[in-house]
Amino acid sequence: MTVIFGIAAVLAFVGAVGVVISRRTLYSALSLVGNMIALAVLFLLLDAQFLAAVQIIVYAGAVMVLFVFIIALLAPGAEERLRPVELRVLVGGIAAVAFTVMVGRLALNGITVTASGQFHGGIGPFSPQAVNAHGQVQTLGEQLFTTFLLPFEVTSLLLLVAAVGAVYLSRHRRTLR
Amino acid sequence: MNGLFPGFLTLSAAMFALGALGVMVRRNPLVVFMSIELMLNAGNLALVTYARYTHTMAGQVFALIVIAVAASEVVVGLALITGVYRSGRRLDIDDLSEMRE
Repeated sequence: MTVIFGIAAVLAFVGAVGVVISRRTLYSALSLVGNMIALAVLFLLLDAQFLAAVQIIVYAGAVMVLFVFIIALLAPGAEERLRPVELRVLVGGIAAVAFTVMVGRLALNGITVTASGQFHGGIGPFSPQAVNAHGQVQTLGEQLFTTFLLPFEVTSLLLLVAAVGAVYLSRHRRTLR
Repeated sequence: MNGLFPGFLTLSAAMFALGALGVMVRRNPLVVFMSIELMLNAGNLALVTYARYTHTMAGQVFALIVIAVAASEVVVGLALITGVYRSGRRLDIDDLSEMRE
């Protein structure tokens, strides 16, 4: 499990770096696809099989196809290369590394885990064994339609508004002044 | 003990930091949107990690909701980008600043 985590983590990290530093937009999109597939593997390691499938289908499938389609439609040219000596890139890179180190230290012993390795909030009833015995999708669906019904309904409203907004924005003869 | 828990969280933090870096230093709006996706994915990874190690379900449910929110955000964002492109302007974040005030 540690080996698989190592491989998937390196792939996810390389994909994330590729999104930011690629000169061509299409290479950024392909890096993001690699990152998302590695992330699906990580979800499998975390006993979230349903989310891994959703990640592949919705993200690596639908969303990224939309991205690649728009890139092919607009055909943006290559940007100039990001130079690390440029001040904003340098400062941003240092801030990113500092943030990562900080969270890594806090994850080892800090705000979420006590010195004895226990979580402050305790352990809930949904252990991987219990969830798999009941069924992964069944458990997720039951939670979604009982405890988290309000966020679910608000999300459906958001999707409706987004669809209407996209249709409105892409009407003919309407250009953004 | 908690095994790979710090590893997952550190990877999530690294992805989030890279996404934030991309939003701040890149000029192409498409790449900026992809960096936002990266940050949302990093948040998803942290949510699922906590759901797994604290034996709760809320993290997975909210990861699902975040995926839906990200999809709708992409739809509206790409519609805006094509609208800007059709108005004949260069796709450059720094040129599109008249919504500032």
